[in-house]
Amino acid sequence: MMGRRLTWSLAFVLFGALIVSLFPVFWIVITAIKPPTDWNASPAIWFPSHPTLVNFRTLFDPDAIRAYGVGGVSQAATTSVYGSLLASIVGTVLSAAIGLFAAIGISRYANGGKATPLIILSGRMFPPAAIAVPFVIIYSNVGLIDTFRGLIAIYVAGTLPFSTWMLKSFVDDLPREIEEAAMIDGRSRLMAHLVVTIPLIRGGLLATTLFIFILNWSEFMFALVLSYSNVTTIPVQLARYVTATAGTLYGVQAALAVLAMLPLILAGLFIQSHLARGMTFGAVKR
Amino acid sequence: MSEMNELRMVSQIPDLATEDVPKAGIVRGKLPGNRLGQLLMLPGQIVSLLVLVIPLLVAFYISFTDWTPTRGSLVQATLVGLDNYKELLVYDTRFVEAVVRTLLISAVCLALEFVFGLALAVLFLREFRGKAILFSAFLTPMMILPVVVGYTFWMLFQSNGPINQVLMLVFGEAAGLQWFRSAPLAISAVIITEVWHWTPLFFLILLSGLNAIPENPVRAAVILGATPRQVFWRIVLPMLKPVIIVAFVIRAMEIIKLFDEVFMLTRGGPGTSTETISLYIYKLAFSDFQLAYGAAAAFLVLVGTLVLIHLLLAPIRNQLLEARR
Amino acid sequence: MSVPKLEIINLRKVFGNGSVVAVDGIDFTIEAGETVALLGPSGCGKSTTLNMIVGLEDPTSGDIRIDGRSVVGVPAGKRNVGLVFQDYAVFTHMTVFENLAFGLVIRGRPKAEITRAVHDVAELLGMQKSLKLPAAELGGSELQRVAIGRTLVTKPAILLLDEPLSNLEASARLAMRRELRRLQSEIGLTIIYVTHDQIEALSLADRIAVMNAGKLQQIERSSVICEKPDHVFVAGFMGSPPMNLLRGEIARDGAFTGFRRESLFIQLPPSEINSGRAGQPIILGVRPESLKLALADESMIFGKVTIVEPRGPEAVVTVEAGAISLKAVVLAAGRPQEGSNVGLIADPSSFVFFSGETGRRLAS
Repeated sequence: MMGRRLTWSLAFVLFGALIVSLFPVFWIVITAIKPPTDWNASPAIWFPSHPTLVNFRTLFDPDAIRAYGVGGVSQAATTSVYGSLLASIVGTVLSAAIGLFAAIGISRYANGGKATPLIILSGRMFPPAAIAVPFVIIYSNVGLIDTFRGLIAIYVAGTLPFSTWMLKSFVDDLPREIEEAAMIDGRSRLMAHLVVTIPLIRGGLLATTLFIFILNWSEFMFALVLSYSNVTTIPVQLARYVTATAGTLYGVQAALAVLAMLPLILAGLFIQSHLARGMTFGAVKR
Repeated sequence: MSEMNELRMVSQIPDLATEDVPKAGIVRGKLPGNRLGQLLMLPGQIVSLLVLVIPLLVAFYISFTDWTPTRGSLVQATLVGLDNYKELLVYDTRFVEAVVRTLLISAVCLALEFVFGLALAVLFLREFRGKAILFSAFLTPMMILPVVVGYTFWMLFQSNGPINQVLMLVFGEAAGLQWFRSAPLAISAVIITEVWHWTPLFFLILLSGLNAIPENPVRAAVILGATPRQVFWRIVLPMLKPVIIVAFVIRAMEIIKLFDEVFMLTRGGPGTSTETISLYIYKLAFSDFQLAYGAAAAFLVLVGTLVLIHLLLAPIRNQLLEARR
Repeated sequence: MSVPKLEIINLRKVFGNGSVVAVDGIDFTIEAGETVALLGPSGCGKSTTLNMIVGLEDPTSGDIRIDGRSVVGVPAGKRNVGLVFQDYAVFTHMTVFENLAFGLVIRGRPKAEITRAVHDVAELLGMQKSLKLPAAELGGSELQRVAIGRTLVTKPAILLLDEPLSNLEASARLAMRRELRRLQSEIGLTIIYVTHDQIEALSLADRIAVMNAGKLQQIERSSVICEKPDHVFVAGFMGSPPMNLLRGEIARDGAFTGFRRESLFIQLPPSEINSGRAGQPIILGVRPESLKLALADESMIFGKVTIVEPRGPEAVVTVEAGAISLKAVVLAAGRPQEGSNVGLIADPSSFVFFSGETGRRLAS
């Protein structure tokens, strides 16, 4: 078990695990480039003879979608792509910013409010379906249902535990002396943080931002519950395509799924070295 | 009060695998300047208050009423005390089943994710070429949106889908299964999907932990005569315990809320055989509009999760205390 | 004749396809009950040698024999040696008892035997009270005792230690020195340890093996090695301060024969000279303790005092004359002022000569 080299049987196992890991991704991509005639083939086709990008075009073409005549779905995916981008990007930037200040506060200063960390963390423990209940009620009363503001607020609050804790662990890694040196130089505390602390953790800040982006982009439940016509995100749109058509729109659905996946896989590659830290609230580092 | 202390420890999970990180300055007291500290934390506190605490309190209040949207505004709702909670725990078999079902599925998934993740991590301790690329490849499943994962596996598990094709290829024509028609198969499909999705997380965390284990104690055990198997079970795994528990806690917190994948895979079916707690609450709140009842269910789940985390962290509570000193 | 405990025969270790020679053919023998230090600067090969004795590394060529049996190729766990790491590497997730018992537990010994063995070792090391404590709660020197005890329980043929005193504070060092001495005398333990600190070597070891650049320079009793260095390297390494070394040659100055370096001429009585060496490069060695202060006309060397380092009852005086710099150890009471001029004199029989080419000591 503690040997150094990879034996043939172990290499075989590794290869098998690799196939298993990547096959579903392969399948989604393959399905996305299948022409409509191949969609419902039985048994399913693994390698379409005429791969095409038409599904991606259909996604953004309201007439084409309607032409499929599938019940209840007449929406092109354009609004949802726009929606995901807006909600995710704004939500991420806000979450990272607020989390950054909170992280510096918690890391460098006496825990102002012993309850704050607890509250922030418990936000992760509550089933979203349930916390959606009061949100629906409150939002309907203040007119935030089906608005981006409302969704973004939830995205910020929901990811705050991650951004705070991940950034806190990066700030913790910096020796205090660095900021103290800047303060001795005559800068105020706040300036010291702006000029010294933040630039020094920019790698971690980038990683945290991408990490939060992944979380927000993937978010489903709240978008599902709080959006009707103005606000849609890609996951919700995908769910609509699937539930309304009971699967006969495979290629188009898969195309949307691929669009959804791509940014995350790219982001994931960038932050790989910090993933362990992010996923465990800063407890485990690389 | 001690509950709060322990939870505070949870919320300030310290660095558990930081051999390579100098911790200068952390042991000493914090910087003076409480005012700035409070100011910095203010936005976070405001957001949490507005978007977390207030809705939580509202939901808490609702759970003690019998309010539904059809009955007018919330302020006029009648208080029914603990009726909702009593109903849930005593009479609502569907709720209890959902809880048990979710716990069982979670336990199975966590166990499988741990075993597979550990096996992969141990494999990655060896030397071979292309490790970096393989590492990225193995992390990919974790990076995919849960909705897309659910959707993908929904396609894969179709009667004419690739999984059945492979089964039939290996085991013959009769091996094709109706994954979504029978309860055990549907639950298996959910488990397989979940395990595929999140094993990389265990892999990642465990690999970090394994790499952080100091070499000398392992060598010392070898010199004292331990076989590789003995080294693994008596030295490596015990030293990995804190990391393992962190991984379990993190994952447990999320898997209890299992929703997206199941929603796309089975919608809770067939019947209610794959209905997780979140799905049931969703149904209560947004199909049946029993919002008060659903809120009560949610709070029960919250309390249960807190208790569960508390129990899971018990084995390393001492270590957490030590590290904070 | 009893079998030596450890024999190292022409041991070689080469890394990286021959580009790095860590250990370059060393030979030595250690008898049972001895304490031997492997001493040398970093990179000299002492740690590699230790690893090969233990079994963490395999030699490229050569043999290692313990109690007469070759152990090359035998896995570390089966060599019956014990190793104490520099950072102790105690099993922090176990109690002290479990640490000590580990070697026997994995061998499947019966519980009674294990308990007895652990208690014996604990008593030997004064750890009976700590047995139930988690190892993680112990401090530095206690951890070291756990590490030592852990190996002793398995009754190893040889106990090996890697830099045993370097991580301890001064007071703990004295205690550990006494402890190791006691172990040696009470149970006749054979101890080998690696260190870069010659004071550590001198204080603990019966014999010292000085290594440099993969080669064994000299293995000699510690009481003698400072006076009788075999090689210029050993001379310049051992002692605090180490031996003064001057490059020069044997030459005539009129009717006298002596050692000359530039303008310095030290007359040597005929008994100290092999005149066949005239003209060849030679290194003169004289210990700082052998140099005494003298008046100008009596002295061999006259120069200026540049540094005076007080050392309790003594002082180390650095005297410079031209390009020559010598250190002398004098009584603190009679020490000169910095900046003053003094003369130094020494008994020629205390001189040691080394070949200027090979560095080897020359028989005078």
